[in-house]
Amino acid sequence: MQLTKQQVNYCMECGVCTGSCPISQELPDFSPRQMIKKTIDQPEGEILHSSDLWACLTCSRCSDRCPVEIDFPEFIRSYRIKAIKAENLPRLSHNGMLQSISAIQAQRSNKGTQQNRTAWAEEVGKFSDKGEYFYFVGCLPYFDVIFQYLNVPSLESAKNILKILNKIGIEPVISNNECCCGHDAYWSGDEALFQKLAEQNIEAIKASGAKKILFNCPEGYNIFKEVYTEYFGKLDFEIIHVADFLLQKLSESDTESFEFNPCSNNSVTYQDPCRLGRRSGIYEEPRKLINLVPKTSLKEMEHNRENAICCGTTAWMECSNCSKVMQVKRLKEAKQAGADTIITACPKCQIHLTCATTTFDTEIKIIDLYSYLAESMNIK
Amino acid sequence: MTEQNNLEFNSGFSPKIVTIACNWCSYSAADLAGVSRFQYPPNMKIIKVMCSGRVNPNFILKAFQKGADGVLISG
Repeated sequence: MQLTKQQVNYCMECGVCTGSCPISQELPDFSPRQMIKKTIDQPEGEILHSSDLWACLTCSRCSDRCPVEIDFPEFIRSYRIKAIKAENLPRLSHNGMLQSISAIQAQRSNKGTQQNRTAWAEEVGKFSDKGEYFYFVGCLPYFDVIFQYLNVPSLESAKNILKILNKIGIEPVISNNECCCGHDAYWSGDEALFQKLAEQNIEAIKASGAKKILFNCPEGYNIFKEVYTEYFGKLDFEIIHVADFLLQKLSESDTESFEFNPCSNNSVTYQDPCRLGRRSGIYEEPRKLINLVPKTSLKEMEHNRENAICCGTTAWMECSNCSKVMQVKRLKEAKQAGADTIITACPKCQIHLTCATTTFDTEIKIIDLYSYLAESMNIK
Repeated sequence: MTEQNNLEFNSGFSPKIVTIACNWCSYSAADLAGVSRFQYPPNMKIIKVMCSGRVNPNFILKAFQKGADGVLISG
């Protein structure tokens, strides 16, 4: 959705955005409604120097409900670009490591830095350099190293996806030339970095000759679908989410070849990632995949589907006590729903919620969707 | 400074090394080398920290991002 100045003028001050905002619930001073109101009055005023600009999660809960369809996340993003010029910068989480990794990847072509993105895949399955399907692994190989201290096995989901794909009879392309999708750079207002990364990715995909690109990371999927097409026009490959793809493949093939064992967890719940749910409209496919496992008792948290609450931070910045409160609330919701495991389709939700379990005394386990499937498919 | 001191390899490649040194040991040692007029290669740049515990992984990544070929942490 393209945000125009006129569209902001449509604001009728109903306050649904502020009422919906998970940040406003914890930080009463943070109000999307007031930010829009003040900006209509002074377009280049105090908003440029405000820290609220960086506190927004761009989780799209407000824009999803706005009666006049103001795209608040896009409003925030357009002001972040201006705020950087005015030297109003965000507080980066994890010492800014993730931002540096993206920046190094963008310099790859002129500095000749080599990535090793395929070592994990060599151990678990078959993949190729060229072919019809391209598996876009995203940042998982980096997360796996950075978040070792939290015992988050980020690469497990990629390994399990590769195993399931191999079992279906697909040997996807996995490329060392793939790089960060640029989602975080885009939402942090660094368009130059985003564009550089996007160009490199499109080049890497073209070189592989792939026509169907599979994503397991909701952010990669969403940014390709929403923003790459906006910047680079129609892409000559198809963008497919793995959950959608697997559901199709697993349900159309005869069930005998894919035997599911009953799950070992008694009851599970599903965390809707904001990029996959509200921004891409994929709610049911992951739930149907979970239900393929016999004896699964899928409970719904109080806030689910389009009402789901974000995992607390976006784009690796501004992690605060507010993020922690949101995460702990989410864990409590899962517990209230009677679930002992939260299944998530987003590597970042997995990291953030796991981090919350270390600070909050709970027995709840966090697992990614594909590991859950693979566990019962007996292909470990 | 002589050519050999410049850490130049046969190919003529002279790596840029960023050294992050602890104030109380390795930086003092480098300082002592300076006071004693020992020469060391100019392609090594030293950054002093008050403790090597101050170093976080992003220091290393930032050095590579800004063009370092190697990072030496000493403390």
